[in-house]
Amino acid sequence: MSTLRHHLAVVAAMARLGMAEAVAYRVSLLIWIVTSIFPLISLVLWRALAEDGPIGDYDQGDFDSYFVAAFLVRQLVASWVVWDLDRSVRNGDLSVLLLRPVSPVLHHVIINVSVLPLRLALAAPIGLAVLLATGGMQVLDDPTLWLLVPPVLALAWLLNFTVQLSVGCLAFWLTKAAPLFDLWLGAFLVLSGYAVPTSLFPAGLSEVARVLPFHAVLGFPVELMVGRLSWSEALVGLGLQAGWLVIIGAVAAVLWRRGLRAYGAFGA
Amino acid sequence: MGEVPAIRLDRLGKRFRVSQREPGLRAALRALFVRTHVEIDAVCELSFEVPQGQRVGLLGPNGAGKTTTLKMLAGLLHPTSGRAQVLGHEPARRSHELLRSIALVMGQKRQLSWDLPALDTYELNRVVFDVERSVHQLRLTELVELLELGEVVRKPVRTLSLGERMKCELVAALLHGPRVLFLDEPTIGMDVAMQLALRDFVREHNRRTGATVVLTSHYMEDVAALCERILVIDGGRLRFDGSIEALVRRTRPLRRVSVRADALPTDDELRALGQVVEREPPRMALDVAPERVPEAVARLLALPGSHDLAVADAPLEEVMRELFAMRAPEDEAGAEPSSRGSDA
Repeated sequence: MSTLRHHLAVVAAMARLGMAEAVAYRVSLLIWIVTSIFPLISLVLWRALAEDGPIGDYDQGDFDSYFVAAFLVRQLVASWVVWDLDRSVRNGDLSVLLLRPVSPVLHHVIINVSVLPLRLALAAPIGLAVLLATGGMQVLDDPTLWLLVPPVLALAWLLNFTVQLSVGCLAFWLTKAAPLFDLWLGAFLVLSGYAVPTSLFPAGLSEVARVLPFHAVLGFPVELMVGRLSWSEALVGLGLQAGWLVIIGAVAAVLWRRGLRAYGAFGA
Repeated sequence: MGEVPAIRLDRLGKRFRVSQREPGLRAALRALFVRTHVEIDAVCELSFEVPQGQRVGLLGPNGAGKTTTLKMLAGLLHPTSGRAQVLGHEPARRSHELLRSIALVMGQKRQLSWDLPALDTYELNRVVFDVERSVHQLRLTELVELLELGEVVRKPVRTLSLGERMKCELVAALLHGPRVLFLDEPTIGMDVAMQLALRDFVREHNRRTGATVVLTSHYMEDVAALCERILVIDGGRLRFDGSIEALVRRTRPLRRVSVRADALPTDDELRALGQVVEREPPRMALDVAPERVPEAVARLLALPGSHDLAVADAPLEEVMRELFAMRAPEDEAGAEPSSRGSDA
């Protein structure tokens, strides 16, 4: 039991440090949040387009809810391990983490998660202001389905994290790995439901997009939260999230293990 | 049963594969299609053992393989061949038990969080390294006092001077009471007073805690002042293992005898005793074989107005220069990159 207590203490101590750093960098965090208001811009565009009647099964109110939720979910599933890892492998800062009796991956998990409350505290007023301006939000009205929201958000976060971890691990072999993540990000902007709900995609493309990991990270949690999914659809989505997590997690684990063998510990 | 050695290396080797290209745009474009790699043996069949509690200095020119060796011992680099053991553990496995027993201080790397006070990182380390709060507090008070840090540990690290930051880094490395301490160029960029303070501190720490200390430094004086045992590495290979005195005697067996006198004899008159290496009247110095030192001393003392007679080893920097200049042919092979072009 004392081992468990030790692990919990480690998590708490690292989270405290992560929060202290987040507070130290609060202005840059706020700027990052403000620069990620893309869904709110989509909201304005789609709202205008839906003025004369619904588009697909979205009317103006649906678009408001969807894009505010998309903005908030994006904040909640955010991490930046790809940039941290890319930099720290290249300049050797990873050595500092490797000397501590804690997995560097766990370190990144905790530091990234510990910033989420502050991130949400800064983002929520923006979302709230938009809702006040547009006249309210429809949310999931089945209270039992709300039980699925925390695990779905957790899996979405983990999925985003493991994708970033996998790409970041390429820095063990490449001079710069983070730009490769832009490829993922480009596909994410189109296919996740970040700019357009995936259910509005042309038939065929819509079905494909909805089984890809991009949608599992953003579109699926958003649709769940605004009450667009039934129990069975929600469970399928949850299964897809878990499946992608197993696959991408396995890739990340292999890359991490092999990467450490190739690590050059330069810059010291 | 004997105590497990702090460090045991058995034919340890590390080979790096690095891409290489000529400067210029044409070469850059060519490198997009054909990449040339060279393989460099940074460390080559290195074997030695360090008992617990010893202070050992790794000496060698730039690129000799000192830091690579240290990084393998700390578990940061995986060896390409051979075996390393630290306190009976294989460092590359990075077992938590081993990581709790060692520390690596890198002069050019920081573990302290840049924008927070050092105390915040110390508290994190306390928990991560599982140190009891009372023990931690005791060590912290002691280290802060010994290194005269005072309120420095409460200021954001980015606002500290280089010397203050290095002291804070040292505290961070020692708070968990490591049994083996690796110091990689710990005095780099420090002024002389700070270097002396750091040396005193490390020696005192070794005396009080019995921790093994392995040090690499460009400053020969650091190593001479701190280490009872010297390992000279060059071209990734072990070139010497022994005390600093033995190193000097082996490389430069001649003793340097200097004197001031009203009238100095000519070089020819002294040729039978040794070779004159300095002549700036009223002072002169000559290198003399050890067995002829008494004779030389007697002869120089007999000079008119003779005073300030001194017998010393050759300066350490000179010894090292000479040692690295006389490389054996087989070492050259190990030191030079073995070029093997290959396609990407």
